[in-house]
Amino acid sequence: MGNFGLLMEGFQVAITPMHIGIMVVGVMLGLIVGVLPGLGAPNGVSLLIPLTFTMDPVSAIILLASMYWGALFGGSTTSILFNIPGEPSSVATTFDGYPMAQKGQTTRALTLAFMSAGIGALVGVVVITLLSTWAAEFALRFGAPEYFSVYFLAFCAFIGMGSSAPLKTIISLLVGLALSTVGMDTITGTLRLTFGVNELMGGVSFLVVVIGLFGIGELLMTVQDGLRFRGVTSRIDLRDVFRTIAELPRYWATLLRSSAIGTWMGITPGGPTAASFMSYGVARQWSRPGEPFGKGRPEGIVAPETADHSAGTCAMLPMLALGVPSSATAAVMMGGLMIWGLTPGPMLFATKPDFVWGLIASMYISNIVAVVLVMATVPMFAALLRIPFAIIGPVIVAICFVGAYTVSSATFDLWLVLLFGVIGYLFSKLNYPLAPLVLAMVLGHKAENAFHQSMILSDGSLGVFWSNPLVGSIMTLALILVLVPQLSRLVSKFRSRGTLRSAQ
Amino acid sequence: MVIKRIHMEILVACLTAIAGVVVAGGSLELGVGWTDSGPDAGYFPFYVGLLLAAAGFANAVWTVIVHRGEAEVFLEQEQAMRLLGFFLPMVAFVAVTLVLGLYVGAALYLFYVAWRQGKYNPLWAAALGISFAVFLFVVFDVLFKVPLLKGPLEAFLKIY
Amino acid sequence: MKKTSIVLALAATLLLSAGAFAQWAPERPVEFIVASGAGGGTDNFARTIQSIIAQHDLMDQSVVVLNKGAGSGAEAFVYAKGNAGDPHKLIFGTNNVYLLPHVAKMAYTSEDLVPVAALALDEFLIWVKADAPYADAAAFIEAAKASPGSIPFGGSQSKDTDETLVALVEQKTGAEFKYVPFNGGGEVGVQLAGGHIAANVNNPNENLGQWQAGAIKPLCVFSDERMAESEPIHGDMGWHDIPTCAESGIDISAYQMPRTVWLPAGVSDEQLAFYVDVMEKVSQTPEWQEYVANTSQTGRFLAGDDLASFIDNSETSTVEVFKAEGWTAQ
Repeated sequence: MGNFGLLMEGFQVAITPMHIGIMVVGVMLGLIVGVLPGLGAPNGVSLLIPLTFTMDPVSAIILLASMYWGALFGGSTTSILFNIPGEPSSVATTFDGYPMAQKGQTTRALTLAFMSAGIGALVGVVVITLLSTWAAEFALRFGAPEYFSVYFLAFCAFIGMGSSAPLKTIISLLVGLALSTVGMDTITGTLRLTFGVNELMGGVSFLVVVIGLFGIGELLMTVQDGLRFRGVTSRIDLRDVFRTIAELPRYWATLLRSSAIGTWMGITPGGPTAASFMSYGVARQWSRPGEPFGKGRPEGIVAPETADHSAGTCAMLPMLALGVPSSATAAVMMGGLMIWGLTPGPMLFATKPDFVWGLIASMYISNIVAVVLVMATVPMFAALLRIPFAIIGPVIVAICFVGAYTVSSATFDLWLVLLFGVIGYLFSKLNYPLAPLVLAMVLGHKAENAFHQSMILSDGSLGVFWSNPLVGSIMTLALILVLVPQLSRLVSKFRSRGTLRSAQ
Repeated sequence: MVIKRIHMEILVACLTAIAGVVVAGGSLELGVGWTDSGPDAGYFPFYVGLLLAAAGFANAVWTVIVHRGEAEVFLEQEQAMRLLGFFLPMVAFVAVTLVLGLYVGAALYLFYVAWRQGKYNPLWAAALGISFAVFLFVVFDVLFKVPLLKGPLEAFLKIY
Repeated sequence: MKKTSIVLALAATLLLSAGAFAQWAPERPVEFIVASGAGGGTDNFARTIQSIIAQHDLMDQSVVVLNKGAGSGAEAFVYAKGNAGDPHKLIFGTNNVYLLPHVAKMAYTSEDLVPVAALALDEFLIWVKADAPYADAAAFIEAAKASPGSIPFGGSQSKDTDETLVALVEQKTGAEFKYVPFNGGGEVGVQLAGGHIAANVNNPNENLGQWQAGAIKPLCVFSDERMAESEPIHGDMGWHDIPTCAESGIDISAYQMPRTVWLPAGVSDEQLAFYVDVMEKVSQTPEWQEYVANTSQTGRFLAGDDLASFIDNSETSTVEVFKAEGWTAQ
């Protein structure tokens, strides 16, 4: 009950007219930053840091955190409207969000995304409120082998289900892995696969690849059938918003499952991007039969959005309690903490309860503020699609290239976007799945690092991955997630063959 | 003229195989062995490259054997023209950007597409291009302090 | 009240001294190129200076901060090379500017940049888990000698400052560790607190939180004198109570990481002088003192010949370690 009392005191800190004002400003700024690829949450937050030096730390962190929530919401918008993920963690939202918008259900897709994101975030805050002490200690138990097992689990949960062309899935996965190895390798300190190109020193940027593959690639797919968006003639009806909200309780199982996955990935070092992929994969595997995923199925939007936001929220916990930022944005905020003279660590909860609990209380409020604000923008964003293609098409192209340029202010990245645009077009046209490529890029190098560290610690013995109950059970679970669907498919194949024969 | 799907399938499969060879080759100089402290720097990329080459090759062979003679169309000529009509201005946009900067590049690109493909009045299209560039400038350079690539025009106007 | 009067007095002195130096001043916005990702130590360093410059109006032109942290910061230095002679680009780094080209084939050399100033020194300490059986650094070294190559020693990055220091300890004492590189100091700190590694050489502020909580403890600091007096951090121990490593029998008098500011090569002397002056003023502000104290660094302003000889010493001694470890490139 101690935490509850502290939370109530936190609310007293957070609910002041000034703090509510700060939240509104922060969320608005975050929305802008999240919608435009290239600005991005880390960028926006670091821009605000110098402004916060003269502020009270509680107000400062509320401003930065609100901006982060806003950016997380904004990132989903472009995923759904234009197939361009504004933030890495909203890539998985494109899989069903964009097709649904193309069917003319833009309002429904956006509403589903924002509402489930809000629910995910609230679950995340509740978990932080109730379990902060336990979760911080739990996170301490993660060493290199455990890190690897978490990445491996995310991988397996996503890859585990069948795909139409296994060979093409494997190729896509391998291309992603190869891309993730380019650049400086942390463990060996060597430059890999840069082929003497200075711009590749930092690796191939994830955002650049995603903008090319999804943004430009999809535009190319669109224009081959005429210079207009496919099938979009959406009426904007405010009643759609409420109808969709009323539809939400139907997905309670997906919401619950995805929040759990998100919370788990936020506390362990998986992070929001991995969480959204994993949750999408699991939803695809466990949802009741119905319309196929990837063609605008509601659960395909609810699952990644819920997990993304509950993970994003829970990721604040390791940052505050351990000083480990689990995302680029968290890293910037942590830098802010230090400049304000606060030391992230287990003692922060004891020495600065007003700061920590003020922040946690503000997370309840600012996420609700964010949902309200972002829902108000739905009609506006949905209307964007009615602008003639000859105008909005090139605008999207220009914004894509601007976004890619800002990643590292390198013109080289502009060519990369073109290249990946062509690859994206060819791959989607020839039915190569893009998701494994993206997931491999996100997790590939992290998993390789953790694997390598484990090998150094264990002197090259693979047994380290089953050396304690924690890592052992995660690894085993991961293997089960890969193998069970394959086995069950084999079994059902045999069965159907059997019935066919008996029918003959 | 029509592009057949099977040809594109084989082409892309071969390209992925070549990419695999390049990756594996590039990793060779890093050391691809297994040392006391785990894998060498090139170990992962090397085997990823090898597997990619093998998978690409297998895919090409598979396509030739299984789908030989299929006549599914990849692109009609009309589609290809439309695609090029969209893609080439985009390439030109990038090329122009390198010389004139992102703002001028984006303005010209928007102007051209709205004028030629959208059939808008050139004055209207020019206004569109310029106002978009100004919007970009205000949001990125002024509000969020993210400088975009600038060219000779900005230098002339003393905008840095 | 007191704070404002200090600021006013400072502003007055700054105004008086400004006339003497200001032969050249930036003509357009100045880019701060940060050789680390957003949120890293170098990033905080640059953004603090940015905010102090703005608060005290030390420069007429505005400042834009750009992160170029790829390749351990090499991206920023290559960028400096590509912008030779441009006095509107300041590069913020550590000792990586002059050390990186020694360990990897880089597209720049340290001649492509000129040092402006160093504003602070970040200390390195040996940290172990609080319940570790080592009472002091000597006992820790003995334990490592007893079982060579089996004590996991964590650090940030590979062939970077942390691994160099661990290698230096090995060379000086004859002990042998198992070095495990991680992505950043915060991660290494948590790995130690969780008991996944036995020791690390983190900077003070990277481990402060875990020390406060009593999860880990410092053994010694690699400095020629003890750190400044401070409030007790854990129990009755504060920064000043940590013995130097030389006291504990590790023959390394000082190993510190300077927070440095650079310009691209080819700028004129007046341009260099302008920034030296700005940085010196920054280092005298109360905000800077506060930043140094908050991040447990040692504030020391170095420029001109002092800085040149500091860099020279640091480079020569480190390159010796590189050679002994066989890390040198080319």
